[in-house]
Amino acid sequence: MLIAGALIPGSGQELSPREIIRKADEKFNGEKTSISTMAMTIVRPTWKRTIEFKGWTKEKKHSLTLITAPAKDKGQSFLKREQEMWSWNPTISRLIKLPPSMMSQGWMGSDYTNDDILKESSVVNDYVHEIVGEETIDGRLCYKIKMVAKEDAAVIWGHQVRWIDKKDFLFLKSELYDEDGYLVRTESGSDIKLMDGRLIPSRIELVPAEEEGHMTIIEMKEMSFNKPIEDSFFSQQNMKRVR
Amino acid sequence: MNNLKLAWRNLWRNRRRTLITSASIFFAVFFALVMRSIQLGSYDHMYKNAIESYTGYIQVQHKDFWDEKIVDNTFAYDEQLEKQILADENVLTSIPRFESFALASNGPQTKGVLVMGVDPAKEVHLSNVRDKMLKYRLSPEALEKIGRDSEIPEKVKELASLFENSAYTTSSRLQLDLGITDKEASGLMPDIERYAHFENGSIEMGEPGAWVGDKLGQYLQLGIGDTIVLISQGYHATTAAGKYEIKGIVKLPLPDLDNKIVYLPLDVCQELYNAGNNLTSLALAVNDSKDRAIAETVDRLSMIVPDDQKVMEWREMNEVMVSTMDADDKGGQIMLGILYLVIAFGIFGTVLMLTAERKREFGVLVAIGMQKKKLASIMTLEMLLIGLLGLLAGATIATVLILYGVDHPIIFKGETAKMFEEYGMEPKMAFWTIDTYYISQMVIVMIMVILAIGYPLRKIFGMKVVNALRA
Repeated sequence: MLIAGALIPGSGQELSPREIIRKADEKFNGEKTSISTMAMTIVRPTWKRTIEFKGWTKEKKHSLTLITAPAKDKGQSFLKREQEMWSWNPTISRLIKLPPSMMSQGWMGSDYTNDDILKESSVVNDYVHEIVGEETIDGRLCYKIKMVAKEDAAVIWGHQVRWIDKKDFLFLKSELYDEDGYLVRTESGSDIKLMDGRLIPSRIELVPAEEEGHMTIIEMKEMSFNKPIEDSFFSQQNMKRVR
Repeated sequence: MNNLKLAWRNLWRNRRRTLITSASIFFAVFFALVMRSIQLGSYDHMYKNAIESYTGYIQVQHKDFWDEKIVDNTFAYDEQLEKQILADENVLTSIPRFESFALASNGPQTKGVLVMGVDPAKEVHLSNVRDKMLKYRLSPEALEKIGRDSEIPEKVKELASLFENSAYTTSSRLQLDLGITDKEASGLMPDIERYAHFENGSIEMGEPGAWVGDKLGQYLQLGIGDTIVLISQGYHATTAAGKYEIKGIVKLPLPDLDNKIVYLPLDVCQELYNAGNNLTSLALAVNDSKDRAIAETVDRLSMIVPDDQKVMEWREMNEVMVSTMDADDKGGQIMLGILYLVIAFGIFGTVLMLTAERKREFGVLVAIGMQKKKLASIMTLEMLLIGLLGLLAGATIATVLILYGVDHPIIFKGETAKMFEEYGMEPKMAFWTIDTYYISQMVIVMIMVILAIGYPLRKIFGMKVVNALRA
């Protein structure tokens, strides 16, 4: 950390690819806590549907998500503590621990799997990075970085290609490939906005490669960072209470 | 005419020989008919169970529903379309349904279930669920009461404890399991029925209540008044979750279904799955359920329904069952073939003996001037008469048995019944009424007789009178 800290000031051009990824990652996950309001739109060939939710996170370990709309789903909450995920459903008053078999299923019917939400592996430590070029996305000049998963890392992707804005270190596009080198999904960020003093892409589109017409769009409506949240906020009791 | 008279007299000259030969034909016909009747009857019974408790004869569905039974493959209920369907001459009534899967739980017990949203009033025309509601259960409390009743014989008490927790939809089945004869029934059954009585409530449209299969209820340890929790994915990936009070227990004749079925009122089910007024199927009750009528109705309805819907008949919807039955049918036909082979040799054997025994007689007849041709025709008539005798006797007795069996199917009890149920079958052996299969069985037996005639005829025409006289 000491060396990394010493490197940052004024050395934009000589950054190592690992350093670029770390800086971009910190944009999203670097703060102690975050509180957000988001909308998720699930697009399918014959229909689409929007879910709104509020999220609280603390470091990488804890998160709590509360569905606020539509009415039918309202009040459901999801708790992530360490490696476990729980769901609370008020209509049946049941707290359910998501079993491993449900991990690969879509969260709320979207293209995000429960596993995506739970297993935030480290894009910094679990991959070997290499700058493979520079490209422009939405008028912003980006590093194009290829990240190959380390042999012993517990990640599901074989490799990733990420486009990172050179000026503000934002993930603007990611391509995720499986172990056999096939493209599984593309994620792209756009609509860059200033939220609570941070510049972040407020709209993320996830497009699975194999399923035509499928897409999940996440829009960040509000975000605030570093508001103090107690550890006890992320509890099963609070899942039932939180508004 | 003279020949016939002679043949007839010849038959009764050696009564025993005639009776033995016709007895072998009698058994051939009798067994073939009864076997075939039971086979056909059992298939029909299985099909009827599947059709009446589940699929119905014809269903209108979303075109993708059968291949992928998800809530998204449903169609919006359309009154106009329903009217058009009902206008078809063979359609009696239409029964709207919404079926899907869910995870059901009660406390720590969880199980995947089939959720069926039905309109209880309309369902009467097809799968009469109300008839399948539990009427009696040998619950521990019921057993205790039976145990205390001094009028009930020990033997019955023992059997009752063997069937602890068994459920019954009819009193006759309960009587059978308890080994009570019809004579004893009037004295014993009213008390036992009272002890084992099981009270169900009904489910009504708009009221969140559920009926569950007996086996499912036992697995989840659910009784009347308990709450079942269902969780699943609804229309367009919404969350489907709900709590429902158990209002009644049903016992379906298909154990596979009994194990996983949950009935909800149609509108409650649609709300659970967030599906508006969408249906997964419109099951149709028909006037004429014969294969041809069904096929024609399907053709006519296919013209009416919109492109995103399709019309299916019960054979397609019960594909696994139909092919299992077909395989079983082939097996049965092979068994019949073996039976025929054995019997053909039996007939041939007696004919062989008969010819050998009468060699001298034939010789004498020809020696005193009887034409071989005339002798042969008498012989043929004799054989045909024997054949006819056996055939008629066999068919008559089989018919009596079959006609009785149609109304009184064999119902297994005790351990055998349990074994049947473990194989997923109802412990019942039904008969199929007199039908075209009669003709084919009779024709086959007559052909065997005619083939057997060949031997004595050859002997007669090839006979050397001198040798025959010395035999």
